[in-house]
Amino acid sequence: MSYKASGLRAWVVQRITAIYIGLMFVYLLGKFMFAAPASAAEFQGWATGPVVSVALLLLVAAVLVHAWVGVRDILIDYVWATALRVTLLSLLALFLIACGFWAAQVLIVAQIA
Amino acid sequence: MKFIVFRFNPDTDTTPRMQEYDIEVTRGMMLRDALMEVKRQDESFSFRHSCGEGVCGSDGVNANGTNVLGCITQVADLKEPITIRPLPGRPVVRDLVVDMSQFYQQYRAVKPYLIRKDPLPEQEILQSPEDRDKLDGLYECIMCGCCSTACPSFWWNPDKFHGPQALLQSWRFLADSRDQATEERLDALEGPYKLFRCHTIMNCVEVCPKHLNPTKAIGHIKELMLKHAI
Amino acid sequence: MSLTKRRFDALIIGAGGAGLNAATQLANADARVAVVSKVFPTRSHTVAAQGGVNAALANVLPDNWHWHMFDTVKGSDYLGDQDAIEFMCREAIPTVYQLEHNGVPFSRLDNGKIYQRAFGGQSQNFGGAQAARTCAAADRTGHAILHALYQQNVRARTHFFDEYFAIDLIRDDEGAILGALVLEIETGEPLLIEAKATLLATGGCGQVFRTTSNAHINTGDGMAMALRAGVPLMDMEFFQFHPTGIAGKGMLITEGVRGEGGYLINKDGERFMERYAPNAKDLASRDVVSRAIVTEVKEGRGVGPNGDHVLLKVDHLGEDIISKRLPGIRESSKIFAGVDPVVEPIPVFPTAHYVMGGIPTDRYGRVVTPIQNGPEEVVPGLYAAGECACVSVHGANRLGGNSLLDILVFGRAAGQDIIKYLKENPNHRPMNETGVEQAMSRLTRWEQKGEGLSVREVRDEFRKAMEDHAGVFRTDEIMSEGVEKVKEIRKKLADVRLTDHSDVFNTARVEALELENMVDIGMSIVLSALERKESRGAHSRPDYTERDDTNWLKHSLYFQEGDKIDFKPVHTKPLTVETFPPKARVY
Repeated sequence: MSYKASGLRAWVVQRITAIYIGLMFVYLLGKFMFAAPASAAEFQGWATGPVVSVALLLLVAAVLVHAWVGVRDILIDYVWATALRVTLLSLLALFLIACGFWAAQVLIVAQIA
Repeated sequence: MKFIVFRFNPDTDTTPRMQEYDIEVTRGMMLRDALMEVKRQDESFSFRHSCGEGVCGSDGVNANGTNVLGCITQVADLKEPITIRPLPGRPVVRDLVVDMSQFYQQYRAVKPYLIRKDPLPEQEILQSPEDRDKLDGLYECIMCGCCSTACPSFWWNPDKFHGPQALLQSWRFLADSRDQATEERLDALEGPYKLFRCHTIMNCVEVCPKHLNPTKAIGHIKELMLKHAI
Repeated sequence: MSLTKRRFDALIIGAGGAGLNAATQLANADARVAVVSKVFPTRSHTVAAQGGVNAALANVLPDNWHWHMFDTVKGSDYLGDQDAIEFMCREAIPTVYQLEHNGVPFSRLDNGKIYQRAFGGQSQNFGGAQAARTCAAADRTGHAILHALYQQNVRARTHFFDEYFAIDLIRDDEGAILGALVLEIETGEPLLIEAKATLLATGGCGQVFRTTSNAHINTGDGMAMALRAGVPLMDMEFFQFHPTGIAGKGMLITEGVRGEGGYLINKDGERFMERYAPNAKDLASRDVVSRAIVTEVKEGRGVGPNGDHVLLKVDHLGEDIISKRLPGIRESSKIFAGVDPVVEPIPVFPTAHYVMGGIPTDRYGRVVTPIQNGPEEVVPGLYAAGECACVSVHGANRLGGNSLLDILVFGRAAGQDIIKYLKENPNHRPMNETGVEQAMSRLTRWEQKGEGLSVREVRDEFRKAMEDHAGVFRTDEIMSEGVEKVKEIRKKLADVRLTDHSDVFNTARVEALELENMVDIGMSIVLSALERKESRGAHSRPDYTERDDTNWLKHSLYFQEGDKIDFKPVHTKPLTVETFPPKARVY
């Protein structure tokens, strides 16, 4: 890894996460339109199944990474002052990490219950 | 026909102004002809032009908001009044003349020349017609600058993003079966700026007067990079 | 005002094929070289060359350099110097390979070799069947070559002065050239560039004619600078009119169109070249085809409402060939003539294209002039190459595909000889301050204010006069009138005033300086043409219809001082082979 921020890796990651998000979006849309869980318990049962729960965890991770790359791109384009850009990137990172913890917490709590 | 032309002479003006000219349009008149008419009326008007047939790339200007090559743009195809401005995003030297040095710097940065490591044969380096065909749509670039100065990514980061013109050139050499510096060329394009500021906005493709496709070339570079990375 | 000065080993004025090829040699030999160009290098007019560059590679049909030499001598109507022609035709082969190694994207044959097409005036076996000698990158060969050469200079980190206009050469009392005064167009600041050797590579002067295939920048600046430095211009009466310019506009339609199988027809649909050149037909030499077209039109067989042009038929080649081999032509025809050659023929008429004459040089690119002993003494420190020079390899008529060859071979030769010259002359000579003042006065003259004629009106009058009086057919009467007109215009120059005196990117001032150059050259053309009382190559006189080898097998030299014409012998002896003696020239 060079000292420079990556170009190719970010680009590839953005595309891979986009594909995964797209596929999951189609799946979830289908699920909730045609086979929506009737009750909270049923929903919990579905969401905590071994396959679905991993898929959902991955989805959260993909959304976070995708957002990181995308927003970083926008900041690189429009924010040139180094201090401001670093601050904004840090805030973004904090926000995304917080979101990640929160989502993980929700999913894990559901799993335990 | 009414022409509204951007005027600025740093020797005499403090701010740019738009000046109106009435030009008699003849059949088949090109925008360059009209600008030459403007110059006949007003000697103090400056713009670059030379070959008059779309091969030298001197007279890129912005007509009614779109970058065009003056000598191959029919006046009849433009809506009256025709507003002529310099290519956007570049410092104006005078009137329609802009400072293109950053654009040329980006061109030089991609090492736009054939790099060969093997000893050279006494005759030509052989190349199949199929391999040669891969250079079509790449080597024809006349460096008019219409594409790069229409590219928002180039406006934001002209010092770091190579821009569509230079990247098209980069691919012209990557695509050349005779070139032997693929790794170095790809390595040099790594990082978030030089190549990856392209967000496939495709303004470059829309304005290219030679109908070339820099966006596609950039896509090819990314694919090749990926191939080499995995 | 103190004048900024820069010092280099070598100064190259002009960044077309000749200048850039010389610069590559020098930069790679670690000489400090400055290239001055009034436009960014890739805007130079080499970029517009379409068809290709000749070299006897024999990739398509049997060929060798000796046949190429014969064709060039014959094409020159025996006025070309046979030693220089032999040198060029031999050098052609390594030159094209060098270009290919430099990255030029030549079109290819199935076996991977460089594609070669047929061009006018080419034959196998000394006048036999048609040869295919022109190496092509589709119909954008000049573009491909110019860009590759510029790229080589990017690699060699050559020092470029882009958008600097050369005002005048500086000469010392011994006649040696010390460099040049140039003008930075962007700031309006003059700059003195001192150099041990100076190469003029400023290209042609087609802008002296109203209808021309040449770019706005082709104003013959280097030739005019040479004239003012006391160097004569040689063979200026020989100006090539390319047979196929887009009618009424002048943009070029390459000879390659006829090389690929296109042909000319008149209003009756007749393939008239069969009458004028039964063997070579449409691929006869350019002067022959141009005269044929003008004759057809004069005799009432022209096409169009005014019967003022002929047609170039291409559609029978099919869309495949046209798109692959002639894509640029198809585009130009659509844009400028409003016709798609795939379905309709292209309206064409001869257009002023190329000056065979120029600054006299030897085959090393050294400028030679009669000084004291003999007609060819070297001017110390001055070189010329490309269209502005006259080696002479084109004589009275240039063959298609030999122009790119000329600039490359002699650009390189000049670069090589400069390297040698720099070794023998390691020091700058002292600057001649009077010379600098003289050159400065050429610039300051345009600071004069007040009422006067405009550059525009004098330029229009001049270019019209040249077109009317130095065109394809020239009689004594027409040309004498032309001489008077040009003399009149030359006088008027003193009354021309600029209204724009600003410094930054003042193109009006540049155009004024260019006008002075063009008028100086126009004079050399009309006077040399009036003097030559024979028909040879591109110089065609209805009052002297025959070539006269007894009296006129000689080069003309025009000196600006006193508008004097002198002559010098043709080099009829080649380097190693037998002389090709003058013969009747039929195609």
